[in-house]
Amino acid sequence: MTNSISEIADSDVIFIIGSNTTEQHPLVATRVYDAIKTKCAKLIVADPRKIPIAYEADYYLPLAPGTNLALINAMLHVIIAEGLIDANFIAERTEGFESLKASVADFTPEKAALITGLDAELIRSAARVYGNAKQASILYAMGITQHVTGTKNCAALCNLAVITGNIGRAATGVNPLRGQNNVQGACDVGCLPEILPGYAPAGSQLAMDRFSPIWGDFANKPGRKLGEMLDDAAAGKIKALYIIGENPVISDPNQAHVRHALENTELLIVQDIFLSETAQLADIVLPGASFIEKDGTFTNTERRVQRIREAIPPLAGCKPDWLILTELIKAMGYVADYQHPEDIFNEMRLLMPSYAGITYERLAEHQGLCWPCPAENHPGTPYLHKDKFIRGKALLTVNDYENPAAQASEEFPLILTTGRVMHHYHTTTMTSRAWSLNRESPHSFIEMHPNDAAVIGVKDGWLVSISSALGSIKAHVVVTTNIKQGVVFMPFHFAESPVNKLISDKNLDPVTNIPEFKVCAVRVEEA
Amino acid sequence: MRKLLKNDLLTVLKIWNDEYEVFAPKKVDGDVVLSIFDEENFTTDYVNVTLPVKQYLFEQKENFFKWNKTEKEITVKTPDPNKLTSRVLFGVRPCDAYGVAYTDKFYFQEFEDTNYTDRRKLTAIVAVNCLQPGKNCFCTSTQTGPFAEQGYDILLTPVRDYYLVESASQFGEALLTMILAYLSPIDSEQGAKDKAILKSLAENKFEIEIDLSHIRGILKKTYDSKLWDSLAHGCISCTGCTNVCPTCTCFNVVEENIDDNSGRRVRYWDSCQSDSFTRNAGGHNTRSATSRVRFRILDKLSLIEERFAMKGCVGCGRCISVCPTYINIVKIASELTADYYTDGGTDEELEQIIQPVRHIIEQRPQMDNLYKPEIAIITRIDEETPDIKRFFFKYKDPSLHERYIFKGQFFMITVFGQGEIAISIPFGPSQRDEFDFCVKKAGKVTDALHSMQVGDEVGLRGPFGAGFPYETIKGRDILIVGSGVGLAPVRTMIVQILENRQEFGKVAIMASATKYEGVVYKDDLKEWAKIAGVQIFYPLAKPTNEVDAHVGYINDLLPGLGFDWANTTAVICASPRRIKAVAKDLLALGMQPTDILTSLETHMRCGTGKCGHCKVGSHYMCVDGPVFNYQEMLQLPPEF
Repeated sequence: MTNSISEIADSDVIFIIGSNTTEQHPLVATRVYDAIKTKCAKLIVADPRKIPIAYEADYYLPLAPGTNLALINAMLHVIIAEGLIDANFIAERTEGFESLKASVADFTPEKAALITGLDAELIRSAARVYGNAKQASILYAMGITQHVTGTKNCAALCNLAVITGNIGRAATGVNPLRGQNNVQGACDVGCLPEILPGYAPAGSQLAMDRFSPIWGDFANKPGRKLGEMLDDAAAGKIKALYIIGENPVISDPNQAHVRHALENTELLIVQDIFLSETAQLADIVLPGASFIEKDGTFTNTERRVQRIREAIPPLAGCKPDWLILTELIKAMGYVADYQHPEDIFNEMRLLMPSYAGITYERLAEHQGLCWPCPAENHPGTPYLHKDKFIRGKALLTVNDYENPAAQASEEFPLILTTGRVMHHYHTTTMTSRAWSLNRESPHSFIEMHPNDAAVIGVKDGWLVSISSALGSIKAHVVVTTNIKQGVVFMPFHFAESPVNKLISDKNLDPVTNIPEFKVCAVRVEEA
Repeated sequence: MRKLLKNDLLTVLKIWNDEYEVFAPKKVDGDVVLSIFDEENFTTDYVNVTLPVKQYLFEQKENFFKWNKTEKEITVKTPDPNKLTSRVLFGVRPCDAYGVAYTDKFYFQEFEDTNYTDRRKLTAIVAVNCLQPGKNCFCTSTQTGPFAEQGYDILLTPVRDYYLVESASQFGEALLTMILAYLSPIDSEQGAKDKAILKSLAENKFEIEIDLSHIRGILKKTYDSKLWDSLAHGCISCTGCTNVCPTCTCFNVVEENIDDNSGRRVRYWDSCQSDSFTRNAGGHNTRSATSRVRFRILDKLSLIEERFAMKGCVGCGRCISVCPTYINIVKIASELTADYYTDGGTDEELEQIIQPVRHIIEQRPQMDNLYKPEIAIITRIDEETPDIKRFFFKYKDPSLHERYIFKGQFFMITVFGQGEIAISIPFGPSQRDEFDFCVKKAGKVTDALHSMQVGDEVGLRGPFGAGFPYETIKGRDILIVGSGVGLAPVRTMIVQILENRQEFGKVAIMASATKYEGVVYKDDLKEWAKIAGVQIFYPLAKPTNEVDAHVGYINDLLPGLGFDWANTTAVICASPRRIKAVAKDLLALGMQPTDILTSLETHMRCGTGKCGHCKVGSHYMCVDGPVFNYQEMLQLPPEF
């Protein structure tokens, strides 16, 4: 997030796109509720499903899955055409405006209406409300990124914020809501194939200059992305895989391919706190420790670094991840002289300028600190890009619309979009073990518009089979008008109805290789 | 009335702490919590503690019992009350003290819940009156504060540099005796005057004030308000509101198995705001999202008061502070009140529809432990239908049969390690040394029971519930209708009536099902058909060659019975929809709605009106029912 969570309550316009905020980020949603219920902020929600927060929206835009970019480009068109831009901000702090302007010149709401299925006037109204805002926040999540145009979608949202000057100030910004307690922290320290700690690009001189004084000689080159690793494992090019805290058998596209890839390795090590579907395929399982059994820090969605403390010692036979890793490093003959997670954190401070001013001592006094925090007397940074963007000026980009790769056909006439439910986390390795959560949502389901159900001849509660070009699964129907006709929705949590048996691993965003989880052509029949 | 200098408070707490486990307000980050007495972080500067004191009396998780299975037998061990410590809870606010007064009534009365009462008897509450309300406080509106009137052993009122001290129990007196050196006498009249002034000053500081005097009637009149739908879209079932509520008492019963041969049955706080709170094994839910959100507000502002004659909401405002989507009980009450009067509603109309509160709660027979099942052995198993079996049990301890008194409507059957289910009593009072139950395979516990053998051990609790009236229906014509396994609950009436056949008029029994294979007690029915003046009918959806069946509806057969309808009692056990269909015709034939009896079995978990799962309106179906007459059934909200 460019901005921090509590600021959302002070926005006068909030634009939520591709985020089921109330169910997936309830504590973020509560700031949205604060803004709209107590401060009369306007709310725009774009989502193919009428998710709970959509009921609170002043403008609800039920767009077709995979057409976000058409909507955003049309909003840019309206804002530029009607002069709702912040001309001073554009002149002083950006470059590339003219080419952006040219690229959306003919992208009228009427054109977007044909693609998205939305009313052109509704798009125009939403654009005006956003364009006229004093402090507008954009919130998004996987509904924006899990598309073949995922990168472009994000860049287009940045364009929207930048040309209206809704960045670099409190209660504005472009705010991706991170899905896990520490996914931001994992990215910060380089758990990404092309990035080293502190976002130093792998292979760069910067990385060499920054890390070699401490690490000496190191492999300064980009790694392979997740999908590429699985492809290579399937092809026999990768012999061993070591998976920590991830369950790709359920969470990655094309389940048959994933299983084959994992089974094709000569050595599969899985480190997890429960015996997940992936761990069941492992040659070696390393039992990890849960959050309650370990010390360290988590960095949350607003870049807030927070201390966690061991409440109970690790269960018999389990160890915290850092200890397993250091013991492994030592066993391989390298130095890993860490006695406590704080030793590792102090090395992070040395190598990552944005963490330099954060110490365990300061974290004990504060309820966390938001990076960048370059010095020990620095209070942390609630919002980014205040006076200057990291690259100097913001580069406005051209993001031409592309259709989703998956298209409905005669054989697969419905579009499946995937997501999550309130009471489960990811592949349910943890949440299915808590009675109160699992009782709320014990099984998978497929949401379907009554008109589609009538065409297929099924009723609420019936068991159906859902097939794509890759495979077939079963689930019970939930008939609801909260979804667009022609679109069906399924959660991906459940191993008994593994949605990723259906999702293609070939339709990828060209930059990030993120699969098109949100759009998949399917056929539904009575089972 | 006595006085205690504020400067001596810490000393007093230390004296108590030497003898008791003292819990007192403690600063933790930005919050103040009631925690183990910590001199360094102790504070008197707080509006209220984060969670109500309920958590020290009704703990978030409690053990019911531990079971152990050997080759020979199953043993059950309940927690040892002698291991509990004696506690002083200091600094309790009047709203929370009222909450304790309510939970005391809830757990001590009717069936005594010893898990609560053992702990409660060892706990002293030292309440401190409030001089300053918080942002969401509204106890003046619920008349539960800001000065406490019940739920405490000692009450302190802060006055300048001292506290007025009053005690309300022997436990309170005993605590005061320990600190006599620090107490000085004060003129009671002057004390009472000071207290009254401070109370009125405090009351005037409240920003939230709402007239709740007619709220029970207003909630009835606005039951179908659109407001409930819009609130339901906001509620994410996080259950925060019920977790922080001083009067929320619901729990779920969970099996925590240690291995194949041992485990624990425990209870956890549960919440009616979970969608699955009232969802049954087959996926059917008696409450929609709208009725779920409405139920909590109704319960707090009306249903608890209707049944227990105490306020269900203490006005602490915690549920308002904690809701992530701004659901606000005060705003809801104000909005519905405004809507009611705007639409032309009057106070007179409200007074007519309000149910009187039930001041008297029936005291039930004392049991040593409500939740401990007695071991019983399976002595025989009959296969009634492809998915219904009839199980015969004998208590392992024969004296339990000797002491057994026929009453109630159901037993709770435990399959150790799997769970517990409510099963209705199909036998009469003459059957004393063996019990039999009809069980349909419908979920985890019944599946496990179906795979058990003669000689296996189960647990029995009961009998519970209000059974069918027998004495009052003598001399009347009797119609008995049982659909599928629904014949089991009414069988108890059949056997009693047939054993005393001469005391009744005409008797007709209808065993309905889709197919004849789905009819239970096939042999019994054939035997009963031989008794003079007893007619047996089989209304089935599909034809059969086994018996002379009627292919069609129950209703088709009613006019031909030739009953004296004004002098008939009907006992019907079927789905609510079927009951309504049959009752409609019976009323048309001349029956009174109070003469149509039915059994509404829904989500019964604890059997004793404690867990809250089967609450419909202000009724706990397991205690107030499950037998209701048709008139009572129609007055219930449609949530069973």
